[in-house]
Amino acid sequence: MPETELNDNLLQSTKTYSEQELLLSLRNGDQSALSYLYDYYGGALNNVILNMIKDEGLCEDILQETFLKIWNNIKLYDENKGRLFTWMRTIACNLAMDKLRSKDYKKRKLISGDETMASLKDDEHTNVDSFIAKSDMQNRMSKLESQQRLIINLSYFEGYTQEQIAAALSMPLGTVKTKIRTAIISLRKTFNIN
Amino acid sequence: MKETDIISSGLLELFVMGKTNESETEQVLQWIKEYPLVKQEVDTIELAMEQYALAHAVTPKQEVKIKLFESVNNQPGFTANVIPDASTKIKSINSRWKMVAAASVIIMILSSIGTYVIYNKYKKLDQKMAMVIEKEKTSGSQLDMILTSNTESIQLKGTAFSPASTAKIFWAKNTGDVYVAPSGLPETPVGMQYQLWAIIDGKPVDAGMILSNSSGDKYHIQKMKSFGKAEAFAITLETQGGNATPTMDKMYVIAKVI
Repeated sequence: MPETELNDNLLQSTKTYSEQELLLSLRNGDQSALSYLYDYYGGALNNVILNMIKDEGLCEDILQETFLKIWNNIKLYDENKGRLFTWMRTIACNLAMDKLRSKDYKKRKLISGDETMASLKDDEHTNVDSFIAKSDMQNRMSKLESQQRLIINLSYFEGYTQEQIAAALSMPLGTVKTKIRTAIISLRKTFNIN
Repeated sequence: MKETDIISSGLLELFVMGKTNESETEQVLQWIKEYPLVKQEVDTIELAMEQYALAHAVTPKQEVKIKLFESVNNQPGFTANVIPDASTKIKSINSRWKMVAAASVIIMILSSIGTYVIYNKYKKLDQKMAMVIEKEKTSGSQLDMILTSNTESIQLKGTAFSPASTAKIFWAKNTGDVYVAPSGLPETPVGMQYQLWAIIDGKPVDAGMILSNSSGDKYHIQKMKSFGKAEAFAITLETQGGNATPTMDKMYVIAKVI
């Protein structure tokens, strides 16, 4: 397909869907539903992967792989077990985790040298973007207590286990659990979800 | 277990974040089936985390979407999970006792190396995590600072010398604190460093050096010198450590304060 045609047909999704309609269309193999899904959730999943992988190029590959897997396996998604996004995020996290454990990734890290510092630049860069673009949302978010935000981010975005978080912050495992719960309760208030 | 106990256990939150082990996951799924209140609670947690994730969305490059649709359309008709057939390899080793003996020695050596590697990995992970925590802490407090209503954000634009460059200044008018977000500047050549200048009464005043070592520090938002007033801010490329006066023909970005 020539690129221009692709652009016209798929790169701008104009239709909006409810989660039910979206699922039905995806299961019917409707590519414009995939396009909408990507537009709506691509950025959120991109951030999840970027936080784990810290390498923009690899992150793009994994994001693409994630959506391909979602598309190919949409029939396996069971809405009784949770929301679509939760399932999609799990796919993204698993693929990112696979990549982190792969030889290819370790080799790449060796080549890039100072892995951690070099990798931090990307999400710092995105932080800047979000300050500007999402100031309203971020404003609301900043009301989260900073330790709550830290724990949520480590757990949800950076992919650390509760044991790792407990050890790093020198607090009992039970406390981490409680703090995660308290943080999510304040998030719910923030978003008026009850 | 009562519904209220399940809800307050903290396990549902971990389940949504994908942090439960297999048996815990099974347990939660069973509860969801059994108790409508638990299902409702999980829905709410999922929705909150989804909103949180959407609020932190980072738009990917458009090429990714193009590539995605290319691969969607170029896949072979059927994609099955291929289970690698490992049995043949193992058989050929098993057929020779000598090989078994050799293999077990190798395995012993490998496993002791493995233990060492795992230990080192853990040590590394610890260090990496400490850095992430440090970063989260600073970006958190910087975020708070940047989001206060007294903070003015100033977009610095590329000069004729470097039109593609950008940078951003966050200037807290109540405290005079100045932060710079230099991620839109090109890599510095070896031995050179970016220097921020505040223009006060028509004269450039040193506002501090922008960290830019090989480890990518330049990209971080960083605190500079504080100013109560300034007409403009500019960034020039200077020799390592900075200079008393700016090198005008190496000015990358500038903006007037309105």
